[in-house]
Amino acid sequence: MSHPKTPHVVDARYMEPPGPFVETMEMLDTLKDGEKMLLLLFREPHPLYKVLRQNGHDYETELLPDGTFEILITR
Amino acid sequence: MLSFENAPPFSAPLRFFLTAPLFAVLAGLLLVIEGPVVFASRWTPGALAATHLLTVGFMLQVMLGALIQVLPVVAGADLPRPLALARAVHVGLTGGGLLLVGGFWFGLPWALAGGALLLGLTVFLFLIVMWRALLGVPSTSPSIRGIKFALLGLAVVVGLGLLMALALAEGWPLPLPLLADLHAGWGLAGWAGVLLAAMAYVVVPMFQLTPGYPARPSWWFPLAILAALLVWSIGVVFDLPWLVRASQLAAAVAGITFAGLTLRLQGKRRRAKADATYRYWQMGMMASILALLMLGIAAVWPAASELDGWTIGFGILIVAGGFLSFIVGMLYKIVPFLAWMHLQNYGATKATAPAMPRLMPDVEVNRQMQAYGVALVLLLAAVVFPDWLGRLAGLAFALANGGLAWVLFRAVGRYRQAWLDMTLKLAIKKK
Repeated sequence: MSHPKTPHVVDARYMEPPGPFVETMEMLDTLKDGEKMLLLLFREPHPLYKVLRQNGHDYETELLPDGTFEILITR
Repeated sequence: MLSFENAPPFSAPLRFFLTAPLFAVLAGLLLVIEGPVVFASRWTPGALAATHLLTVGFMLQVMLGALIQVLPVVAGADLPRPLALARAVHVGLTGGGLLLVGGFWFGLPWALAGGALLLGLTVFLFLIVMWRALLGVPSTSPSIRGIKFALLGLAVVVGLGLLMALALAEGWPLPLPLLADLHAGWGLAGWAGVLLAAMAYVVVPMFQLTPGYPARPSWWFPLAILAALLVWSIGVVFDLPWLVRASQLAAAVAGITFAGLTLRLQGKRRRAKADATYRYWQMGMMASILALLMLGIAAVWPAASELDGWTIGFGILIVAGGFLSFIVGMLYKIVPFLAWMHLQNYGATKATAPAMPRLMPDVEVNRQMQAYGVALVLLLAAVVFPDWLGRLAGLAFALANGGLAWVLFRAVGRYRQAWLDMTLKLAIKKK
């Protein structure tokens, strides 16, 4: 799945925990420094935010009208 | 999403979850002991005691315990010492709840005042800790905003409750029926309803694999409820019955809209199997919509609330049918998930945790849910035929909630056994 913001997308909207966390960390591992990935979820993943901050990744979150949180993460 | 390192210890929320069903068992036994008289009026000692066994003993227990667990996950706000907070709040809620209920049931002013003071102090402590944790946390999601608004609702419902309990105990001249309605409004809509919505935004899509709640209505629902309650309060202070009724109607419409939206999302779920959480939530939605229709009808046509059994029927529908169903439905996801998460964390890569259905088998959960459904139908029928069914409904309710306690305690037993087994495995691997 691709997206205008980046070709690297994890659509975790219909995924049970811990799927979204695991898949995001796996995709981050495949990216080069400075590359971006997008996580789609129906909630804000605060525990993931914490791990991202600890690992030095930047992220930006946008809430869309349909309730999707788009989280753009920079490796 | 998991939060292994920041999760509070399992015993922090668990103590609340295991205590709550025992209060509901007591409520059922109270009906067995008191019989049909409880259904005669909401002002009878038995009805007041039973109401608070369920709202304080069950709902408040689980809601505060769950907030201690989920605040880091839902709001990204860490509580400094979750276990110490859980211990203090649990003791205060349990002791205060029992005293308050004893005060109502046996007409003991000292117990009523003491219980209310202990509950007030406990909730005040809880609110201070929450406020400090949420200070500086921006409301980036409807859930965070909802939690903040709900905590405001909690402060008001407990403040009003404390005022009324002291007025009853000391004989202060206050318009208690008007204040009691307002207290119930702030408790059920401002605190429980808004918190439920804030949690539903996260757990309904996550547990039931539904689409998300649309951003705009989720953002405005908590504010709409709080605004309606503020207008209701103004109506009480300035003695404007039409304003009170208009705000009740507004709250009912907002509640029905939220429930209708949730039913629509559930209809689009991607989990094919209808599990107990889904069914409990369906039952809760149906009961809540009926109760809110009653609230709306009484707002337009006030004479309705004078009909025999109207208010008791409303209370049973919204508390036992609505909120308890939502809460039990969530417990059946949260407890096995937390048990599994702590075991998984303990075993890490060296020992595997048992799967969630092994910790809490579907067959036990489904049996309990059927018992609860029967108890709810009997309770509602007892409103119409209290002499025939009052005690039987109480017995059924006590048994169904005893069943809930049994399912939860069994799950904890299996969790402890699994912990021991994994400890052995880890010890063998070390050698």
